[in-house]
Amino acid sequence: MSEVVPRRAKLELLVRRPAADGEDAEAASFELKEVGSALAFVRLRPQRVAAETYELAAVASRVSGQTNFILKNRQTDRFLLLSEPEKFLWEQMDGHTSLQDLATAYVLRYGEFDFDVIPALIRKLQRAQLLVLTPASALRRALARSRAKRLAKMLESSLTILERINVSSRHVDSFFHRLYRFGGFVLFTPVAAAACALLAVGGIVGGVRLWHNAESVAAGFGEHPVLAIIAVKLLFLFTVAAHQLVHGLSLVHYGRRVREFGFTFLHGIVPTFYVDVTDVFMTSRRARVVTAVSGTLVHLVLGSLWFMVAAGMPPGFMQAFSAASGMIQWQAFVIALYPFCFIEMDGYHVLVDTLGVPTLKSDAMGYVGTLVRGRAPMPATREEWLWVGYVLLSTVSIAGFIAFNIWLVAHAS
Amino acid sequence: MAHHEVAAYLRDIRLFQAFSDADRAALALVLRERTVRKGQVVIKEGDPGEEMFLVRDGALVVSKVVTAPVEQVIARMGPGDFFGEMSLFDRAPRSATIQADTTGDAELLVLDRSNLEALIEANPRAAASFFHALVQVFIERLRNSTDLVAEVTRWGLEATGLDVDGR
Repeated sequence: MSEVVPRRAKLELLVRRPAADGEDAEAASFELKEVGSALAFVRLRPQRVAAETYELAAVASRVSGQTNFILKNRQTDRFLLLSEPEKFLWEQMDGHTSLQDLATAYVLRYGEFDFDVIPALIRKLQRAQLLVLTPASALRRALARSRAKRLAKMLESSLTILERINVSSRHVDSFFHRLYRFGGFVLFTPVAAAACALLAVGGIVGGVRLWHNAESVAAGFGEHPVLAIIAVKLLFLFTVAAHQLVHGLSLVHYGRRVREFGFTFLHGIVPTFYVDVTDVFMTSRRARVVTAVSGTLVHLVLGSLWFMVAAGMPPGFMQAFSAASGMIQWQAFVIALYPFCFIEMDGYHVLVDTLGVPTLKSDAMGYVGTLVRGRAPMPATREEWLWVGYVLLSTVSIAGFIAFNIWLVAHAS
Repeated sequence: MAHHEVAAYLRDIRLFQAFSDADRAALALVLRERTVRKGQVVIKEGDPGEEMFLVRDGALVVSKVVTAPVEQVIARMGPGDFFGEMSLFDRAPRSATIQADTTGDAELLVLDRSNLEALIEANPRAAASFFHALVQVFIERLRNSTDLVAEVTRWGLEATGLDVDGR
């Protein structure tokens, strides 16, 4: 059965014109015009927001060799990734050029007739409130998943409730600036880097010594190793706040704004603190890498301290607790920096920034999904191989991580 | 046009279909004929209103100012339709402009406020049927207006490419 295409809306307008010389002023001085919405659309003259309202930064991909662009609305902090043709179209949106003219310019420039790029870009820009005529906000789409199964419905409701838990503030920039001024700046000095390296070495030494006595260390938990590990995890949660604080300090260090800091349940499951570091996209790659890595170093430092403390302690509960805390901190350090785990954490952001492929995960998942279903050809380009490699490495890494933790718990028991 | 022709015409007008022949004959006596040349404005938005009109022949366009010199066409009138009655009841300025279409002249019958009030006072039974028919026409116009609002809204969304269900 063919799909019914809805009729385009039409407006009927009456346009008056002044009476000509000798013409009866009362009569026949108007013209009726029917204007279809499609005609109005191609005559739309989109106008980008004022220059001081947005920022545009280039991102060069080392994989595809292409350059993309990040467009930021400075007032709403919305970011868009634009291709080179989209950037070209964006630059034409001066309020004088109609969409029809834009399409002509697009053909002349790129020799392509794929005009869908224009309305798609208009929608993207409207959502990001980067066009002057954009209404204040878009309506959010209602949750449209099937709720036929009771258990699924309950689970969904629970996750929704947890997702809504968000304790945050958007007025934290001044706090981070004070924190930076009153000592935070030290973290971004060579002395701090050297101290971090020394602590890491100390942590490795301590960790190796503990490893040699792993069984006696684990035995320190006594009768309730699982409860002890849960306590370690709860304590770890608070160090995530420190991780995010350092991200924020790094932002201040590079002269950018911290837009938000808060606590929420990631995907409705994982309790976590977070900081909005999106402003760092408008700075240099070095700044982005430092911002990403600096937060994770908190776990390296804390893990090293815990290992050194545990190594210097006599066997018992406190040594086991310290060693487990050191272990979880180092795990967090590795997970945060390791990019191949399907989680878009700091290491992932460094990777995609370095490669210049900001949508690596979603592209990879999309491609491999269609590949598995037999709807995509075998990988041929560098990008396709990158996507396959990302999914494979991540799958193997996750499996390895789960196996390692099972082995740890089994040995602790 | 002879009075009996006017009375016969009134039989086809919804407002007066429930009238007796005598009532229609009495009404025909007070109606005035008016010819409107093609394109000529009959009533203008914002003007005071003391008359209502019955369309005997021709086509008329109802429009509302959007931005000078552009107006939106909100309805069309043809034989058997009537307009201008709103200002007779609420005494507010005319809500829209109505002009004869550019395709030809229009023939109208005019009923002024004093004659309408006299009719209502003198013949309560005819008045009741008049108002009943009037309410039905208003309901129909309200439905049309609602449809028009939806159409205009859809037009706006399509014309601007606005993605209202996007995140």
